[in-house]
Amino acid sequence: MRRALAAAVVVLAAAAAGRAEEGAVPHFERDIEPILTARGCNGGGCHGKSGGQNGFALSLFGFDPDLDHRSIVSGSRGRRLAPAAPLDSLLLQKATGTVPHGGGRKLDPDGDDTRLLARWIAAGAPRGAPDDARLERITLDPPPRSLAPGETVALAVTAHYSDGSSRDVTATSAWHASEPALLDVRDGQVRAGGHVGEATVMARHVGRIATWTAPVVRPGSVDAAAYAALPRRTPFDEPVWRKLAAMHLLPSGQAAESTLLRRTSLDLVGRLPTPEESRAWLADTAPDKHARLVERLLERPEYADFQANKWADLLRPNPYRVGIKATLALDTFLRDSFRANLPYDEFVRRLLTATGSTWRDGATTMFRDRRGPDEIVTMASQLFLGVRLECAKCHQHPFESFSQDDFYSLAAFFGRVTYRGTGLSPPISGGEETIAVALSGEVRHPLSGAVLPPRPLGGAPLEIPAGEDPRARLVDWLVSPDNPYFHRAAVNRIWGELFGVGIVDPVDDFRATNPPSNPELLDALVAEFRAVGTDQKRFLARVLASAVYDRASLPEGDNATDARDFSRHYRRRLRAEVLADAIDDVTGSPSAYAGHPSGSRAVQLWTHRAPATFLDVFGRPDPNQDPPCQRDPDATVVQSLHLMNSADIEAKIAAEGGRAARLAESAAAPAEIVEELYLACYCRFPTSAERESLAALFGAEGSSRRRAAEDILWALVNSPEFVFVD
Amino acid sequence: MTPQPSPPIPARFSRRHGLSLGVGGLAGGSFLELVRLVNLARGAEPSARRPCNCILIWMDGGPTHLEMFDPKPEAPAEIRGEFAPIATSVPGVQFSEHLPRLASIAHKFAVVRSVCHNQGNHGAGNHYMMTGAPPRIPVGCGAFVSFHPSMGSVAWHERPAPHGLPGYFALGGMTRSGGPNFLGARYAPFAVDADPSAAGFRIRDLAPPASVEGARFAGRRDLRALTDRLPRFADAAAVDPVRGLDEHYARGYDLVTSPEAQRAFDIAAEPDAVRDAYGRDAFGQRALLARRLVEAGVPFVTINDGGWDHHSAIFDALSKRLPSWDRTVAALIEDLESRGLLETTMVLALGEFGRTPALSTLPGQTKAGRDHWSGAMSILFAGGGAPGGLVVGATDRLGHSARDRVLSPENFVATVYTKLGIDPGKTFLTPAGRPTFLVSDPTPIRELF
Repeated sequence: MRRALAAAVVVLAAAAAGRAEEGAVPHFERDIEPILTARGCNGGGCHGKSGGQNGFALSLFGFDPDLDHRSIVSGSRGRRLAPAAPLDSLLLQKATGTVPHGGGRKLDPDGDDTRLLARWIAAGAPRGAPDDARLERITLDPPPRSLAPGETVALAVTAHYSDGSSRDVTATSAWHASEPALLDVRDGQVRAGGHVGEATVMARHVGRIATWTAPVVRPGSVDAAAYAALPRRTPFDEPVWRKLAAMHLLPSGQAAESTLLRRTSLDLVGRLPTPEESRAWLADTAPDKHARLVERLLERPEYADFQANKWADLLRPNPYRVGIKATLALDTFLRDSFRANLPYDEFVRRLLTATGSTWRDGATTMFRDRRGPDEIVTMASQLFLGVRLECAKCHQHPFESFSQDDFYSLAAFFGRVTYRGTGLSPPISGGEETIAVALSGEVRHPLSGAVLPPRPLGGAPLEIPAGEDPRARLVDWLVSPDNPYFHRAAVNRIWGELFGVGIVDPVDDFRATNPPSNPELLDALVAEFRAVGTDQKRFLARVLASAVYDRASLPEGDNATDARDFSRHYRRRLRAEVLADAIDDVTGSPSAYAGHPSGSRAVQLWTHRAPATFLDVFGRPDPNQDPPCQRDPDATVVQSLHLMNSADIEAKIAAEGGRAARLAESAAAPAEIVEELYLACYCRFPTSAERESLAALFGAEGSSRRRAAEDILWALVNSPEFVFVD
Repeated sequence: MTPQPSPPIPARFSRRHGLSLGVGGLAGGSFLELVRLVNLARGAEPSARRPCNCILIWMDGGPTHLEMFDPKPEAPAEIRGEFAPIATSVPGVQFSEHLPRLASIAHKFAVVRSVCHNQGNHGAGNHYMMTGAPPRIPVGCGAFVSFHPSMGSVAWHERPAPHGLPGYFALGGMTRSGGPNFLGARYAPFAVDADPSAAGFRIRDLAPPASVEGARFAGRRDLRALTDRLPRFADAAAVDPVRGLDEHYARGYDLVTSPEAQRAFDIAAEPDAVRDAYGRDAFGQRALLARRLVEAGVPFVTINDGGWDHHSAIFDALSKRLPSWDRTVAALIEDLESRGLLETTMVLALGEFGRTPALSTLPGQTKAGRDHWSGAMSILFAGGGAPGGLVVGATDRLGHSARDRVLSPENFVATVYTKLGIDPGKTFLTPAGRPTFLVSDPTPIRELF
């Protein structure tokens, strides 16, 4: 059988030799690598993973043709190729499944790919000359346009080479869909699903990628009068309305006043208003009452605690690794920074240029935790540039154009950081350690060994005199108005916190294949952030003044399936600490946390090691993870069971001196008790139907005022109107 | 031409998205092949082999192999220690003198003596043995780390439990590295810290507090229907997280009101004789509770059994501890067997590593102990189809290193997954979009099938 196939190839090759284009010897980079990429041979789960698979290693997605050629031609002592009988080559026998292959059959034995590979092998498997035309970029045609649900478009990939030539490489390109439910793609055929929204399709041809972002919209248009009447109070409103109109959508109406009060309080200080505060707000008829509310909240001490709690998620190290003193020092730095309302630029400068004792100056904690330039730059680029560079540490970034060179050149800004003292010394977390800047220090490329001068992403290498801290130059670059990443990443993170989804989402994953849902909005936010000197309080006040912020959560018109364009407010479960504090507030029964002063609220905890079943159940970051940054926002059945049955929560609801007990013992009429509980939990008055049916519980047979108040409080705490910010 | 379409990998990954792909790994073929061979060898139809459940007795600190399942009576005194070996029910196999009950039923379970690795710190060793993946960075002694999901979290992810029960319990609290990592919070173990041997023991949250039982609980449920007025999205295509919460409450109520589920937790329903047989201490009653949970269909239960880090006074400590431990583990194996559950339930006992063959006395101490030693460790492997009376592998004459059938943590974890009915060669996508093998070397220990 194999012999027959081999004979067939000889015949085919002979026949093909008569045709000029078929007669040419296939080119390794142009013809062979694309097949390996398109068929998944060099993917991260197979031979492309570091170390390869079963002794056969290729570069991830074919980024390194030299390595790949060596591996195929001379790896395993050359046993992969049999030039005299190409189809007997192990490479082809494996790929066509003629001999057992863990990856299964990847090539049709009679297909074009197999024939091409066989011709290349028969020709002696040439590498090609160094000055051969190189692949420079790929493009996709036709240009993006909006699609109707169910519509299909055939995309073609064109490869452009350094000699100016180009050719169609659609058949040897791999395809990925960002959201297959919206836009699916297979072999270049894009198909819009049944839903409205925007998504991105990516094509990969060897090391190059191209993206195609298109909206799926229903036929029709928005009502012009309704569009014109939309409120425009800040520079952020128009870009959102314009994007929605392009999707043939209109936003939902304004949220109820009580909803807006609850949302604003939880977003700025992570705390519910008291019943008195809610009453006063609901009675206020002044047009500027929301602006005044925002100003009041920004001056509250809880603002700093809540913001620090969020930043701790991003910066807090594994306490078992760096030790408890450095963890506490970081926490102090964060709270002080937000109390002083440090401008964002200054906040980042202090973090990235920190020197001093890791037991005293909390800004240094990141350097104690991340011990080398490569570790620091991975963290810093994700946090402050919104770019995930870690892939480029070991290989070309699979979805971006960042190379190992870019990675280590950026890491070189941290090349002069030095450590004095014991630091981390597993098995224990070490002693005091001091972070300092050495006179010199360098970072080398891990493969070539070349010393890499500090170089910003997309910039030119910098000469930094001995004795200067290169990190200061890095921060100069970060905060400069030309930096395309830094302020974008910052405003996107803040926006994502307020709206539940970033303009780029995940908020720290900016890349061509994950484009912003609304670039104009992002630009408007960056302009405003710079205009207020990166003052975070002023910036928050501006965003909260927008008409986008006060939308209702309930869908209107066709906007139900929108989850990226802010046509309505997206509901979110309260984060663990905020929910714990809210339960303490509404039950009037504070918690006690080990190792913290009495009266500490959950958002004030400085380590996740403080035992708290509630916080674990509701997904605070696991201190055992490294880094311990992952916060799970999902609801789980275990959470429902905890709210429903926890003896701790029941003890709060039924506490002597708690809210239910105090109301029951007071002279308040049943309807007043119901009203007070609703204001405490929901920030609204009960409807008359709610008031009547719940007041009837008081004086019911077998019940008492106390028991009725407790049961209502339990029911309110267990309702989504309490657990979610709407 | 018919290229194999590879599943499109989305450029923008969500966790759910990534996991739902669950791309079959390269070893998928060999896994199925293994299952087929195993079934052929056992003369069973593939469908007749049910996936096993697992009770993992986690001996945190690193239990000594020399004083338990791998005595070295021929070794010099400074290695052999104070305990004498005893014969077991399997000719030629000896255990320590303080494991008489297990020795008498040695023909009912297997012991692996030749697993070893290179992580001598507690944190790192815990991670390696609990997840099958070595830690990515140097990890300290006291550390709790999680870079990879634990076996229990994977079991729950792949094998839902009936009656709304969580699929992974951690009795005595979550072990180090026992968490879900990138699988997400919903696969974190349901940790039961309370001591089931205490009077009035209840598992937290799975039943209403005593003051709210019965009619009051039902009344609150009705009341909640009155206070829950937040409108849901009418359009089913819209993502409304509140509907997700509704499902969780419905499942929660199912669990609270399901007699089958509640029976699983009701350890007081066990006859006194059974409770006594397991031992009336926290460890004994946790083992009994684990059996009830597995009986109710929970795929994975860990018993967190700490305090095996015997750097000093090891003989005093073990002569006190081993007898009750021996009683409980033997009772668990025999109870499972008498209920016909042993064939479908794995009982595993191990820690993060073994202990140094050479005795040492720490400064300031007067009595000798043994230090951390990852060059060899013993694993008790009962049930789940593992042949009884089998000893897999051997250490050298002095117990220093695994010599015959040198096995890795990967081999061990791959064995557990295979018996759970989970392909150890499976690939997961992490939230960062990186394909990750469940176990990098998915080769199970073939003797245990």
